[in-house]
Amino acid sequence: MPAAYADPSAGLIVLPLAWAAAAFVLGPGRGGGMAVVALMGQCALALGLAVGVMQTGPRVHAVGGWGAPLGIDLAADGLTVLMLLLAQSVALAVAVYARGYFADHAHRAQGLWFWPQMGFLVAALNALFLSADLFNLYVTLELLGLAAVGLVAVGGAAGQMAAALRYLVVSLIASGAYLMGVALLYGAHGTVSLATLGPLLAAGSPRLADSLAAALMLAGLLAKTALFPFHAWLPPAHGRAPAPVSALLSALVVKAGFYLVLRLWLGPFAPLAAPAGPLLGALGAAAVLFGSWQALRTAHIKRLVAWSTVAQLGYLFLVFPLLDSGGQALAAAMLQAVAHGLAKAAMFAAAGVLVLATGRDTLDGLAGVASRLPVTLFAFGLAGVTLMGLPPSGGFLAKWLLIDAAFRAGQWGWVPVVIGGGLLAAAYVFRVLRQAFLLAPPAARFQPVPRRLEWTAFALAAASVLLGLRAGELLALLGADG
Amino acid sequence: MRGAARLLVATLGLALAAALTRAIGELPAERPSQAVDLRPQVVAHLDQTGVSHPVTAVLLDYRGYDTLLEVAVLALALIALLVLAGARDARLCAPAGSPLLVSLARGLVPVVVLTGGYLLWAGAHRPGGAFQAAAVLAAGAVLLQLAGLMPAWASPGRWLRLGLMLGFGVFLGVAYGLLGRGALLDYPPQWAGALILLIETGLTLSLGLTLAGLFLFLTERRGRP
Repeated sequence: MPAAYADPSAGLIVLPLAWAAAAFVLGPGRGGGMAVVALMGQCALALGLAVGVMQTGPRVHAVGGWGAPLGIDLAADGLTVLMLLLAQSVALAVAVYARGYFADHAHRAQGLWFWPQMGFLVAALNALFLSADLFNLYVTLELLGLAAVGLVAVGGAAGQMAAALRYLVVSLIASGAYLMGVALLYGAHGTVSLATLGPLLAAGSPRLADSLAAALMLAGLLAKTALFPFHAWLPPAHGRAPAPVSALLSALVVKAGFYLVLRLWLGPFAPLAAPAGPLLGALGAAAVLFGSWQALRTAHIKRLVAWSTVAQLGYLFLVFPLLDSGGQALAAAMLQAVAHGLAKAAMFAAAGVLVLATGRDTLDGLAGVASRLPVTLFAFGLAGVTLMGLPPSGGFLAKWLLIDAAFRAGQWGWVPVVIGGGLLAAAYVFRVLRQAFLLAPPAARFQPVPRRLEWTAFALAAASVLLGLRAGELLALLGADG
Repeated sequence: MRGAARLLVATLGLALAAALTRAIGELPAERPSQAVDLRPQVVAHLDQTGVSHPVTAVLLDYRGYDTLLEVAVLALALIALLVLAGARDARLCAPAGSPLLVSLARGLVPVVVLTGGYLLWAGAHRPGGAFQAAAVLAAGAVLLQLAGLMPAWASPGRWLRLGLMLGFGVFLGVAYGLLGRGALLDYPPQWAGALILLIETGLTLSLGLTLAGLFLFLTERRGRP
């Protein structure tokens, strides 16, 4: 049965695990070319899965042939496939970028173990998106967290080490809270399968154990997503890591926590979670405003982009009080997740080029960049267009749907947050652009930068803008949930 | 400010402890009828798993996919350590081995290896298995290093890297190879026992190296040839 070996859900987990292990065996700094080729294959698998889900509806793959609750199920629906597509495409672009970035003499030492760690990171993301089992999700969270912490530490400068350790501590506490919730649920219901747990939680009035488990798991996942006020670990970790790592973390890793909150919210926790909706919305609003404000104040380019991630994650949580009012809020959240993923990867890629060229990570050093690195600056600006929410970008459509959903639900209070966040985003993006268009001081020297770095940043940024034009297909995928 | 933060953390911790106590107290001693009970299912399918110990059946068959990812977690922990070890300037020094320690290690390590092999074999029908065997083997390696009979590891060469990943590679290969039957890790009942033993043997070697590596990569002897 050769067809079975091309099963996309299994392939999307096995393939990255295989190239991660192979890259480790090949040795320090090697395996990049293999990663790019494998990631192309993964993109094809994710597309195949998307077509399959569109045509025949959600799919379940029972690992071991047992089926839940005895075994572990992998489940793919529209939501899963959307995140898988985002992860594979961003990872492919980052892999192409990273090959250029770590080939540079200054970064070679940082890239020694980058490829195996990236492979495990991508595998963990795919496994997490596909898993339909609470304990298996915990294992994927551990794998993801450890890969992310290790990647922040690559290179090992003192500041990086401190950021990585802080990230590790937050990540472990968050995993612990999540695991405690899983243990409570297993104690009460005897199963960790999402499909089996849903009806059990819906039947009867919720007990304290159920509510406490939901609260603990939610808190753990929010900490992993860096939602305000759990955001303090993110700016140093994402700001100090090498640019390709920052791109992976900001575009994909923090989304994993959000995805799980959404998955649990729409799934088994639906009867328990409703009271927390306004609270999540309020935290999201605070994140939008506070993160943008901090991005306006920082003097470092990558720190600015990292604070912007804190702000943009806030939008994702604005939808929770609106989810009951119809499908548009979910579409808004997923569009925002995908558009921000592409735009933020582009922005960190561009910021990496700017730091490489100017030799320092400060806004002051950017004067004169516009004439030397027009492609990179254009990429940064295009990604900014998505973050601000200008048409025709994916970010515009997401914010439009969000405002629409708020009006439909009669919750007008969220509208000024969305609009104000867009204006603040414009302000911090223009801080960078304005500085870049100043005349370079006569003493300024720019390092040459590989073209490949500039063009990958540009491709990601262009994708985030053009996403707005192809949003119909993405929304149709969400509709395939049934 | 600091005092207020501590007070807040303490209050939150106490509240969590109180809520947990109450939630666990509220759980009925016997599971309600609508809850799932997996124990009979685990036992009912035991003859198809190729092993007779239920824990090993859960770890390597029913929920073998969890174990596969856990092995990846351990590999990642070692890689993260290599990242850190590469960045260190000063390394930890092991104390010079005393004659007593040296003779103890010489006598003990063969027994340790034998015990590891036994634990690996026993896993199929009683408590034991690859993780336990690997931990014992790793302890033997640490003992050898502490006694000064084996040098610490600087950076992993090709064969060591291969050894570290071998168990994971075998596990992943078996998992994918069985996809032809319809699902990952879908063991055919007549081959399940042999395949699980193959996986566990690979894991014992690789996990033993990994666990030993967690200690040996950060340690370097000084002052002795």
